[in-house]
Amino acid sequence: MAVGTRPTSHRPQSGPAAVQRRGRSARDRGDGRAGYVFLTPWLLGLMAVTAIPMLMSLYLSFTNYDILTPWSDVEWIGLKNYQRMFTADPAYWHAVKVTLVFAFIATPLKLGSALGVALLLNRSFRGSGLFRGLFYLPSLLGGSVALAMVWHSLFDRGGSVNAVLGWFGIEGKAWVNDPSTALGTLILLAVWQFGAPMVIFLAGLKQVPNELYEAAEVDGAGSFRKFLSVTLPMLSPVIFFNLVLETIHGFQGFTSAFVLSGGTGGPVDSTLMYTLYLYIRGFANYEMGYASAMAWVFLITIGLVTAVLFRTGRFWVHYSDGDD
Amino acid sequence: MSAPRILLRGLMAAALVLPLALAGCGGNDDSSSSGKTELTFFWWGGEARAKLTQQALDLYTSKHPDVTFKTTWQANQGYFDKLATLTAGDGAPDIFQIDDNYLAEYATRNVTEDLTKYKDSGKLDVTKFPESLWKYGVVDNKLAGMAMGENTQGLVYNKTKIEAAKQAAPTTGMTWDAFIAWAVKAGPAAKTAGTMDPSADYKAFWVWLRQNGKQFYNGNQLGFTKEDVQKWFELWKGARDAKATPTADVIHEGNATDITKQLVVTGKALTSWVWANQMPDIQKNTKDTLGVVAYPGDPSAQWARASMYFSVYRGSKHKDAAVDVLNFLANDPDAGKILGTDRGLPSNLDIRKTVSATTTDPAMKASIALEDELVSKFGPAPSVPPKGHATVKTELIKAAEAAQFGTADPAKAAEQFFTAAQAAISR
Repeated sequence: MAVGTRPTSHRPQSGPAAVQRRGRSARDRGDGRAGYVFLTPWLLGLMAVTAIPMLMSLYLSFTNYDILTPWSDVEWIGLKNYQRMFTADPAYWHAVKVTLVFAFIATPLKLGSALGVALLLNRSFRGSGLFRGLFYLPSLLGGSVALAMVWHSLFDRGGSVNAVLGWFGIEGKAWVNDPSTALGTLILLAVWQFGAPMVIFLAGLKQVPNELYEAAEVDGAGSFRKFLSVTLPMLSPVIFFNLVLETIHGFQGFTSAFVLSGGTGGPVDSTLMYTLYLYIRGFANYEMGYASAMAWVFLITIGLVTAVLFRTGRFWVHYSDGDD
Repeated sequence: MSAPRILLRGLMAAALVLPLALAGCGGNDDSSSSGKTELTFFWWGGEARAKLTQQALDLYTSKHPDVTFKTTWQANQGYFDKLATLTAGDGAPDIFQIDDNYLAEYATRNVTEDLTKYKDSGKLDVTKFPESLWKYGVVDNKLAGMAMGENTQGLVYNKTKIEAAKQAAPTTGMTWDAFIAWAVKAGPAAKTAGTMDPSADYKAFWVWLRQNGKQFYNGNQLGFTKEDVQKWFELWKGARDAKATPTADVIHEGNATDITKQLVVTGKALTSWVWANQMPDIQKNTKDTLGVVAYPGDPSAQWARASMYFSVYRGSKHKDAAVDVLNFLANDPDAGKILGTDRGLPSNLDIRKTVSATTTDPAMKASIALEDELVSKFGPAPSVPPKGHATVKTELIKAAEAAQFGTADPAKAAEQFFTAAQAAISR
């Protein structure tokens, strides 16, 4: 993991370097040609399965394409899909709200849990490797359908969660089937899958040089002070990396919502995530043009959120140049 | 121009041309050259259905060695996603199974072949079908699919539990009030809820509407008013308040289309609202003995519905062969024997007679008995639900659940459904 170190050696420098580059250009071109040849399969794949479909979807977002009608018959309707989305589709705004609630609650909780457990597992003790593996396991199972089904039965009326609550005399309910708690169970499932950011945090913690802690101790810092003044700043690039990744991940929540609600976003739209709503519009209602427009707004929104994160990152992400 | 740039340009051109070239290879019209025809065939269902269908098709191949099949099947969930995607890529199967939730979607967009000319020439023989049954495949004056079985609405009840609690079983023809009163009493006696709350169930709502002189659809319009929906929601609010039904979270489970989640299967209610031909499937999933009667109210509001259809893809290169297969599946006595009642009662009345006489499955017998009992009472079949019906169904579930969970009162929920349903079918 190269997070936290920034390459400093290959920066273009002043005059002499430029001359040097021009001098090597013939060989560079040869290298470049070989590079392109090696890249060919990837470039073909990029074109066929990413670039061309994306451009098609951009085109379709301005049409009334419904999947079943042949391409040649689709009608250009201009910005109507976008107009309808923003002004005439209350379910759309509901889906936006659900997604924002999900992303802004699940992401910080997940990162907090990941960092907390990473700090605990960072020291070596008997079986620490085993624990690291066990905590990582849930996120290996990731977006799997099976996991969502397990979650469903855990939080169902006769599920284990209610059995445990029963020991304390609390009467449970079908948490996954109640509009007031269904999204909560999804958030819990997302938080529980904190293994992937945890592993990255662990890697980051290993990179913090021990001398800094020793120096802090000499200055009389306690463990909390050490965490605030050494660990957090040294870890900030890793935190930033995880934050960006998990925020995007949070916006894209689909599988668990799809499985737990049987593909409907129910009960009463409480788990209608953006991507799930997009899927319903495209594949159940046959409004692929509209779904494409939704996808493009989604892409741009995620791009903006990421850009904002990068902006704010300047103020709190600390890169230590040159160390290894 | 530099070499990489030339190379890049070539690659881009290749990437553009490649999909087209591949698409070109896809359509193989080999019927003319070698005399062999391979038909693609796609349906949803379980393993039992897969086995039966394969047997019937093998029988066809043994009689017509020049025709073979490439079959694909899968569970109901995701079936229509896949069918739509295949259609979009111009790769829809020659023959595919479809039901009235989606028939109009496909027919109005000209995905299905109009079978009228085959019917008129006798190549697709429907003379032994009840007339209303084959007509239930007509959309915009075009015969979009061949009915591959008949069913009707059925109220399935748990005989074992009701008898153990010393209660009377529900009967065909009881009024809605009498039924709810029965559920209020029988439920607690059997230590479960009396009935699944069907307010989210379009077919129950539909039967109730017909009993009140309305329809679900009049052509491409809604056949009911906002007030009708409100009355329907209020009827069931009363039932919930009287504890005739389980709580809202349990009802939500039963609203899934998955038959194994029906409350009569999971033991969370004494009765569920289904299609009568689903009886054997439901029975398979519970140890208790089940019975089936008509929905409450006047049973003449029910109708003989085509449980599903087979349609021929309009872009198929082997339409004549495909139609001949459909004709064989519906009218050949041996094929009829193999397929049995898996897709509903056989459409061909002669075959239905032999199959009914020889069936041994008690659940199927009960379903046939109900159909036999109702056949003289059935009202005229409504026309096939219009485009957008699948969305209307999910909107009804959404609104009914809002009323069940109390996030909206019946009036507000009714208004919400009415507006959404109107938008869905007028798209």
